[in-house]
Amino acid sequence: MRFTKLMAAAALGTGLLASAAHADGHGGTVVGVSWSNFQEERWKTDEAAIKGALEAAGATYISADAQSSASKQLSDVESLIAQGADALIILAQDAQAIGPAVQAAADEGIPVVGYDRLIEDERAFYLTFDNVEVGRMQARAVLAAQPTGNYVMIKGSPTDPNADFLRGGQQEVLQDAIDAGDITIVGEAYTDGWLPANAQRNMEQILTAQDNEIDAVVASNDGTAGGVVAALTAQGMEGIPVSGQDGDHAALNRVAKGTQTVSVWKDARELGKAAGQIAVTLAKGVPASAIYGANEWTSPGGTTMNAIFLSPSPVTQKNLSSVVDAGWIEQEKLCQGVETGVAPCS
Amino acid sequence: MRKYLSAPAPEPEPGPVATKRSFRTGPASSAGQRFLAALLALLAPLPAHAAEPRFEERAAALGIVHVYDGGWEHFVGGGVASFDCDGDGLPELYAAGGANPAALLRNTSDADGLSFAEATPDALALTGVTGAYPLDVDSDGHTDLAVLRVGENRLLKGGPDCAFEPMDFDGGDRWTTAFSATWEAGAAWPTLAFGNYVDRDDPDGPFEACDANALHRPEGDGYGPPLPLEPGHCALSMLFTDWGRRGRADLRVSNDRHYYVRGGEEQMWAMETVPRPYTRAEGWRFHALWGMGIASRDIDGDGVPEIYLTSMGDQRMQTLEDGATGPTYADAPYETGTTAHRPYTGGDGRPSTGWHAAFGDVDNDGRDDLFVAKGNVEQMPGNAAADPNNLLMQGPDGRFGEAGAAAGLASMARGRGAALVDLDLDGRLDIVVVNRRAPMEIFRNVTNGAGNWLLLSVAQPAPNVDAVGAFVEVETPAGLQTREIAVGGGHAGGSAGWHHVGLGAADAARVRVIWPDGTASDWRTVEANARVTIARK
Repeated sequence: MRFTKLMAAAALGTGLLASAAHADGHGGTVVGVSWSNFQEERWKTDEAAIKGALEAAGATYISADAQSSASKQLSDVESLIAQGADALIILAQDAQAIGPAVQAAADEGIPVVGYDRLIEDERAFYLTFDNVEVGRMQARAVLAAQPTGNYVMIKGSPTDPNADFLRGGQQEVLQDAIDAGDITIVGEAYTDGWLPANAQRNMEQILTAQDNEIDAVVASNDGTAGGVVAALTAQGMEGIPVSGQDGDHAALNRVAKGTQTVSVWKDARELGKAAGQIAVTLAKGVPASAIYGANEWTSPGGTTMNAIFLSPSPVTQKNLSSVVDAGWIEQEKLCQGVETGVAPCS
Repeated sequence: MRKYLSAPAPEPEPGPVATKRSFRTGPASSAGQRFLAALLALLAPLPAHAAEPRFEERAAALGIVHVYDGGWEHFVGGGVASFDCDGDGLPELYAAGGANPAALLRNTSDADGLSFAEATPDALALTGVTGAYPLDVDSDGHTDLAVLRVGENRLLKGGPDCAFEPMDFDGGDRWTTAFSATWEAGAAWPTLAFGNYVDRDDPDGPFEACDANALHRPEGDGYGPPLPLEPGHCALSMLFTDWGRRGRADLRVSNDRHYYVRGGEEQMWAMETVPRPYTRAEGWRFHALWGMGIASRDIDGDGVPEIYLTSMGDQRMQTLEDGATGPTYADAPYETGTTAHRPYTGGDGRPSTGWHAAFGDVDNDGRDDLFVAKGNVEQMPGNAAADPNNLLMQGPDGRFGEAGAAAGLASMARGRGAALVDLDLDGRLDIVVVNRRAPMEIFRNVTNGAGNWLLLSVAQPAPNVDAVGAFVEVETPAGLQTREIAVGGGHAGGSAGWHHVGLGAADAARVRVIWPDGTASDWRTVEANARVTIARK
């Protein structure tokens, strides 16, 4: 992976913004959002943030729900274009099938923001959280808590490209300690479907194979961390360092209890807000390379595109109050059953 | 020259040229609108009253409790074969059981209704069975069975009164989940393709550990060692099909991207002396899906089969592009109504999981409909848990609409293999579904006011007595229906026997067969609502 910073880009963008605005044919900017499956609860947060950003910019929000159908999504994008979208934000149902939608937008000169999931096309802008950094944060927190000993890597789904991004970031942080002989990776497993039950089974097998001689577990998300903690608890080993990701309420509760070390949280409100702002800027004719903060990035598939990777937040016992302050979780839920004196539960 | 047993056609003039409906979007954008315009232009007047398809589940009342079960290796599979092995014309059912023994249900139906007797001969009472396909391997007039297993596959020679015995055959030791067969030009015995899923011996598996598929070509009166078809991409369905009506069946393979992860795709093998996958340069396009099953039927009326591929989320209907010089397929647009991408009832909004699919005219209105068995793999969290089967009814405009709930087919069991077959020979297609971890279901078609029909038996002298590879053409005033006689596809199971055709209001039809060697029979006019044998001398 290659990150190249384009330093002069932001200044260039400001100049183009004014002239392009005059060329805009209708009353205001219209941004079309194509959701993959709006029945999934989490996108409601993203939608509110996108709407907020568009409102602040005087732009109009239109949307369509592909209902998990890649071919409906193609039809949806055509419809959003027909309704006058000046820019598109696409949460791809199937990255391997979204190509014709990007083509249809390109034919009409409409910019596309690939939202959260990679659309492997040089004409699309890619906006997501930095999953490699998530991996680094997970490993960093575990390594700080347990600088030596036997490590287990519980990876994500082998069918999800993010699983390998995460694993790559984890390795970056752990490499020096591995080379120095301080830590040894004694077990490693993918988790089919990110399923907690599969993570638990894999962890149980590794514990058996290693005679329970395990000192820390780098798990790639909160679901798998839950499976790992269940396996550890069955052996009376809960409390050894375990990482996670997503800010799941159950995981944050485990952080408060001390059975999970870190949950790396990706604030969907930040992602939605950035997507709205980028879409409006692109709609006004600013080139993707000139978007403030954009990097030129080469995907694992070899496609060079403009991208922004937002920085996630590692939530540990030290900053647990932040998720309550952000309104992500109620204090009561976070602290349920917590006996230690950790803030904000004390 | 061979002679035909059937009477010469009384009508010598050629049939009307069929109108082709296009599913495809055009080469440029705004294709959706253009497609809709094309559909509207083809709108035929609606029939005075359309029959509402209705089915009644009968297995529970008949006391049939057969469950497909087992561990990870039986998350897939669960096929059912339908074929007549006792000579009464009624199709028996042979259902895979996974960890449970497979079962043969003898069809004892009569005018009083559906009935079955479980009578599984020892040779068929196998465990580890994922599915089975009926075909007459040795052309002796008794249907044989190719039985797919986790472990050694079997070829079982059929005899009178549903007797079966193992044939001499190297069944290997792989995890087999797909099968197809064809008689290659001049061959006395069929070429058999076995699709293998994950290589369980790969220590780095199961992901990115797809096994090679195996091709058995006949050697004398039998088979030598198989030829590996590599690379394999975790096949769950295969179909030998003469996809472009060029006179040779090639092998379409639908593969599961869940396990090949990357580097895999759908495949079409050119059946040359040394088989090879078609290339991009020849027009084969990249398609990646969670391929589970294949259905095939000419839906747009151009005589060339459409392909329907079951998967997770979108099920994909694909049509051969106009003017394609190779096997170049494009997905039917969303507006065709064939995606069946999430449950239509039950409130689970996650993408659904399709397995067996079959085309057939369930209301006999002269238009093929589509049945898709659905069900979660096991407990995949990203996919619907309550996932009803689909009955997609084709309307006069060529679009498909969901009728599963009203028809009584919205079972939430984990559907796997299925058969769309007329079990009681009343001219209406019934539906059998084998479920994982739940009893199999037998849905009797009780549609009131269904249209006219034909049940066709197609036969030729040995070899290949069931004329696999032939195309059957049935013509009524509403147009020409074309179907390829094939062995393979679906999910781990197939049907042999009567070819059911809906005729709508037509009380007669003209029928002819393009035999596997390309020779066409004469047209023959047959009365509707009858069983008819078209035999070649």
